[in-house]
Amino acid sequence: MNVSALLFWPVAALTLAGAAGAAFARNLVYAALSLGACLAGVAGLYLFLQAEYVAVIQMIVYVGGILILILFGVMFSRDVLGTSSRPTVGGRVLAAAAGVAASVSTVRLALLVPGLRGTGLAEVRSPVDSWIGQISTNSPFHLGSLLLDAWLVPFLVLGVLLTVVLVAALGLVRKDAA
Amino acid sequence: MIDVFLAGPDRLLPYLLLAAVLFSLGVVSVASRRNAVGYLMGIELMLNAANLDFVAYGRFRGAEPAAEAQVAALFVIALAAAEAAVALALVYAVFRNFRDVDLDKIRTLNGD
Repeated sequence: MNVSALLFWPVAALTLAGAAGAAFARNLVYAALSLGACLAGVAGLYLFLQAEYVAVIQMIVYVGGILILILFGVMFSRDVLGTSSRPTVGGRVLAAAAGVAASVSTVRLALLVPGLRGTGLAEVRSPVDSWIGQISTNSPFHLGSLLLDAWLVPFLVLGVLLTVVLVAALGLVRKDAA
Repeated sequence: MIDVFLAGPDRLLPYLLLAAVLFSLGVVSVASRRNAVGYLMGIELMLNAANLDFVAYGRFRGAEPAAEAQVAALFVIALAAAEAAVALALVYAVFRNFRDVDLDKIRTLNGD
């Protein structure tokens, strides 16, 4: 067991605890802050997966951007403490059923991945040895050339979409909008 | 099975199970929250679970799939940012008209 194995489970626990807080905390501010912990934990998991660039972008866009937007959104809520709008019994049952169904199906899918079944999923190890000398394929430089080569059209479409979305968001919050 | 949980970061299974739990918690959040912003948090949880799956699968398939998976994850992150911007603009518009963002109390088109 090496250092990364020792660090992995605390990061995984932080992610899970943050997600549980985001899903179950009645106080919306606590829920938003737990979501922040969860997003930071996912960024840590990206580091374990050797996706450093994605981890940095996760911290900048999610924790630095989306989480702040959500915290602003919480201010529009009348019932931040969640005292008057407890979910009904039917709502709780429905949510629990949806959660159980989603976890059963996703865990089942995770255990039945085609192509990995023959080797046994528990045996799939990281191909670190075969990666020596290939680490540069994972660098931001390589990701950038992928974006401007094989993924050029989706990249341009995404740029147009972001422009449209930001103009639309401005239009929605205009003073004279209905 | 136990040694999978001891091995940690070098195996695929822990990431898949984590992503599955994250996704389920997102579903629970979407199904139980009555507040528009809480609803949005559930959606972000689900998007993160999908992203984690992308990157984990790519990582354990080799170098080139790993890079492709990371590009896909970057696209998802950008789309999530766009979605959050529009959703918060909608929350603001709803707040201005109804003075509340409780999804159960917004029922003007509902007839009562």
